[in-house]
Amino acid sequence: MDIKCYIQSSAAISPQQSFTGDYIPQLLPLTERNLMRAVEPAYTGFIPPNSLRRMSRLLKMGLTSALQCLRNCNSAVPGAIITGTGRGSLQDTEKFLHDIRTYEETALNPTPFIQSTYNSVNGLIALQQQCTDYNNTFVHRGFSFEHALLDSILQIQEGVAESVLTGGFDEMTVEHHYIKSRIGYWKTELTQPADMLGSDTQGTIAGEGSVFFLIGTAPSAVELKGMQMLYKPTPEQLTASLSQFLTQQGVAPEEIDLLVSGRNGDTRFDHYYDVAEKVLPSSVEKIHFKQYCGEYDTAGAFGMWTATQELLSGRHKTALLYNNFYGEQHTFVLLQGSKS
Amino acid sequence: MEALKLKLKQQIIEALNLQDTKPEDIDDNAPLFGEGLGLDSIDSLELMVLLERNYKIKVEDPREGRKILQSVQTMAEFIMSKQAA
Repeated sequence: MDIKCYIQSSAAISPQQSFTGDYIPQLLPLTERNLMRAVEPAYTGFIPPNSLRRMSRLLKMGLTSALQCLRNCNSAVPGAIITGTGRGSLQDTEKFLHDIRTYEETALNPTPFIQSTYNSVNGLIALQQQCTDYNNTFVHRGFSFEHALLDSILQIQEGVAESVLTGGFDEMTVEHHYIKSRIGYWKTELTQPADMLGSDTQGTIAGEGSVFFLIGTAPSAVELKGMQMLYKPTPEQLTASLSQFLTQQGVAPEEIDLLVSGRNGDTRFDHYYDVAEKVLPSSVEKIHFKQYCGEYDTAGAFGMWTATQELLSGRHKTALLYNNFYGEQHTFVLLQGSKS
Repeated sequence: MEALKLKLKQQIIEALNLQDTKPEDIDDNAPLFGEGLGLDSIDSLELMVLLERNYKIKVEDPREGRKILQSVQTMAEFIMSKQAA
């Protein structure tokens, strides 16, 4: 990158206690279904009551995590707002579709329709913060957050913005969980996050969350060195691309001391993670972040947040995030910390 | 009329998700928009849907809607006039 990009602040609403206080990842017990639900914070300190009453769950999570991210670095108006979401507000989409059927395409409420659009969260952030600059939402399944991240980097490299509020958010509903179970997304037997990686079965555990970063040119403790996306690579292409990516970034595999991996216990796609791990020294420390947040289209944002927290703690110096979404969308992100 | 107004207040609270508001908090003649409940233009659309779904009344003319949605009292009077017709 010609212009260095730094992560100036971040905020995460996830199944973990990640929004406030010190983050200690926990392997959550599941009792009903293979789904990790996000822990929602109190919204009243972030959103006016008259607005709050109309918002659905994902909008509240998205807006609040974005505002917390800005508060964490005492910033009010970013130079751009760029997000990714695989599904947008499912709750609103389902309500709208149910009403179409129930009321035979008449007497439809405007609110769920308005909020079911993918860029609702961006609009709310822009309105609340009075940000009239570049505003974009990417909806590309497992590449949604990653394209938002790429666009953010490009905005900075092109000199369009000095700081970009970048986020990824998705929610899971009971109905959507059921639909996805029909096409083999989740493990058929109730599986605990502690056991998911060694389960030796297909499918994984669903998750949800909203994660935001303020990425900018002002130096901070974590540098975003680079990223690369690959679509449906063969194992050979994955190996070659990861080696090439590290070379381009000027980082030797031995310099990476943390691999934040999207391994999710789905036997159909585990081999990709085996391939990526072989490029790095066997001694590299690994964090399998989906044990803590579950699988969803924008889970990569939680992976990047996990890597950022590790670098901020000073325990690691250079972190590689490798994630893939059901074997199709693969991403590398390289982060470097200045604390040690 | 009193029973209709009470029912209408309950339906408004539910449709607009007016948390912490009870039917007795809404004055029959208080303006729904601006002052009073402080509703906005999207709420007015929600109230139109409420009339259509619950009372089978479709308000076609937006100017007519402005008069009907002034208060709970005007809404109730409109519903009764339509039901009597």
